[in-house]
Amino acid sequence: MFDIRMNDRGDVVLSGRFDAAQVDKAKTVFDRLAATAVVDFKDLIYISSAGLGVLMATQKRLTDSGHKLKLKNVSGHIRDVFNIARFDLIFDIE
Amino acid sequence: MEKKFKRDLRSLDKVFDFIDNFTAKQRIDHSVKDAVYLAVDELFTNMIRYHPKNKNDISLTLEREKNKLIIRLIDREVEPFDITELEDPDLKGSLQERRPGGLGIYLTKNVVDAVQYEYRNRTSIITLTKNLGRKNV
Repeated sequence: MFDIRMNDRGDVVLSGRFDAAQVDKAKTVFDRLAATAVVDFKDLIYISSAGLGVLMATQKRLTDSGHKLKLKNVSGHIRDVFNIARFDLIFDIE
Repeated sequence: MEKKFKRDLRSLDKVFDFIDNFTAKQRIDHSVKDAVYLAVDELFTNMIRYHPKNKNDISLTLEREKNKLIIRLIDREVEPFDITELEDPDLKGSLQERRPGGLGIYLTKNVVDAVQYEYRNRTSIITLTKNLGRKNV
């Protein structure tokens, strides 16, 4: 089960498993972002390269207009995947 | 344990359930399970992407051999696609230079200990080996 929502602060909050079947659902939120935003991974238990692709495409689009994604509460499996993909080079990870 | 799954991204939840059942029965550590999730997901998704119109199910086998986990995906009536010969993506470039292509296979190779590819009778067979740590003995 995957879920994506905006909280009261305007952060993007992810939960569950973010795999290739969830890309369209995730893009409905990420594609609407037009300014710097925080993405909270606290309740996300899994991400695949499909999820990384959505994050990367959003980061590219926002960077073009001087904004960016900031990733927070990244731990466990998600951090391992980010490390392998060298996301530290292209994202601010709190 | 072997199971066949429909060639559809909506099968992924069932694939994860199958992995959950196997790793629970075998008392396999959570970190290993996460690696198996990722490796199987990436390969399964790739098989759908490269042969979307193929009507055959995709087979997944999970076996334990002493302190190793053997993961095998079998895709029938397909063209060869040897993932072991793929070049690693360039992950050191700037954001604008980065491309998502090839990342899934690269992740897979990084979370398992061995990857083997065979192609015979128009069938792709990918065998992954994951060594189990002491917690799984």
